[in-house]
Amino acid sequence: MAARPVVSVYGLNGSKLEATVPLPSVFTSPIRPDLVQFVHKNMAKNHRQPYSAKQQAGEETSAESWGTGRAVARIPRVGGSGTHRSGQAAFGNMTRGGRMFAPNKIWRKWHVRTNTNQKRYATASAVAATGVSALVSGRGHRIAKIQEVPLVVSAEAESLKKTKEAVALLKALSAYADVEKVANTRSQRAGRGKMRNRRHRQRRGPLVVFAQDNGISHAFRNLPGVELVDVTRLNLLQLAPGGHLGRFVIWTQPAFEALNKVFGTQTEASAQKKGYTLPQSLVTNPDVSRIIASDEVQAVVRPAGPRFTKRPFTQKKNPLRNTQVLVRLNPYAQVLRRTEILGLNKKTAKKSHKKAASQKFLDLLKAD
Amino acid sequence: ERRQKRQVIFKRAEQYVKEYRQVERTEIRLRRQAKQVGNFYVPAQPKLAFVVRTRGINKIAPKPRKVLQLLRLLQINNGVFVRLSYATTQMLQIITPYAAWGTPNLKTVKELIYKRGYAKVNKQRLPISDNRIIEENLGKYGIICVEDLVHEIFTVGPNFKVANSFLWPFKLSNPTGGWARRKVRHFIEGGDVGNREDKINALVRRMN
Repeated sequence: MAARPVVSVYGLNGSKLEATVPLPSVFTSPIRPDLVQFVHKNMAKNHRQPYSAKQQAGEETSAESWGTGRAVARIPRVGGSGTHRSGQAAFGNMTRGGRMFAPNKIWRKWHVRTNTNQKRYATASAVAATGVSALVSGRGHRIAKIQEVPLVVSAEAESLKKTKEAVALLKALSAYADVEKVANTRSQRAGRGKMRNRRHRQRRGPLVVFAQDNGISHAFRNLPGVELVDVTRLNLLQLAPGGHLGRFVIWTQPAFEALNKVFGTQTEASAQKKGYTLPQSLVTNPDVSRIIASDEVQAVVRPAGPRFTKRPFTQKKNPLRNTQVLVRLNPYAQVLRRTEILGLNKKTAKKSHKKAASQKFLDLLKAD
Repeated sequence: ERRQKRQVIFKRAEQYVKEYRQVERTEIRLRRQAKQVGNFYVPAQPKLAFVVRTRGINKIAPKPRKVLQLLRLLQINNGVFVRLSYATTQMLQIITPYAAWGTPNLKTVKELIYKRGYAKVNKQRLPISDNRIIEENLGKYGIICVEDLVHEIFTVGPNFKVANSFLWPFKLSNPTGGWARRKVRHFIEGGDVGNREDKINALVRRMN
């Protein structure tokens, strides 16, 4: 395998430092959007709270059907008199004030379990995706001015205490545009969520990953959209929000270096995840067009056919009407046709000849 | 290569024209001869028949239905050539109420194959657009062009079976000028079904 690519570390003022970090092996794990979507869907269900209709809702009457013969529908009706409610339909899902169809139960299975290996594969994929700038900008992060992806900051960032300093760092890295985006997209939620403590919505900003919290979380936590997470506790729901790969991640150097311990490398198992090694891709070289264009393949490939092939025969032409086709099938037909035409002339000559004879005969007759 | 083949086809077609004319004139000569002498000329029993299915799909008794299937008459107005033997004549008798048949002449055979001739190649129905199709499939029986095929069918040669099964059943139109008033009756009764000997040519002329 070629020498691992190297990622530069940026200082607090945004300038490139001497130090470099080799790219951790996680970033070469296969990027599987289908798997990430699957795992994310399951994981996202795990912080759900149960809901249901009231157990006795719509059944708190002693309604009975009136039966047939009363010129009304047979639905159960509330008994008694003296109130509007009497005689009204009850119990059905179609009735006003009746019970809903299939009332939701709290014992619905709200949480979904996923295989651990699948979960780990998904997080590995998601981390790998954060290293692909196309995916990150495709997800919608404003990273046009960023120096490098993945973005690694020196360890001093972990000791920041003031939000002012955090903002200064982000601005120096040209990463503040992403935070501004979040602030600009803060709006009221549509729908009832407003009155259920979910009043506002906003986009997601950068994810800051650290190895040791020496104040960094206090510095960054008040910035809109910014999320902080320990490198040992990377969460798929944060790395691929909505199941979409490519969160903008800002790593600190110790966190970046720790990734090899957290996920392991191609050769060694992970120290943190017991007995876990990174997933292997099924195809070692996924660049299919490059493979096809390579010398080894081109040497054995047969020459390409014409770009557009003419359809050979698309309409049957009747040989009895189309002389060309007739001759194509039966070359002797030409001769037959020719003699036919010539023969026709001969016939008219014969006719005229006959006429002359009859005239002669008449003369003979008259001569008498 | 192709030129050589074309020359062979030309020669054969020429030879066939001579042959047909010869056969026809012989027939006529023998008739005239017999008449002259006061004898009776008994022409040979016909070897070839052309059968057209006149009835649709529904309400066919099982035995005639099977016979129609065996003759490849699966659709109304489908036509096939049949070699006449005692066995096939009996078959035609079974399907009398469902088909019209008779002895086709050369013009009928030719026109059917030229205009409505499709080949069964690799279970596909392909139009006979070129002699190549015939050569590739029937070449080993010495049939390399349309004229060879016509000859084999008309004269019921040794490879008639192969040549006939090479031809997809002819899909004819309804006759211009219409069927008889009550087509389900026998031709003899003024209908259309059954053996009508050489009157089949007029029918095919109108259906082709």
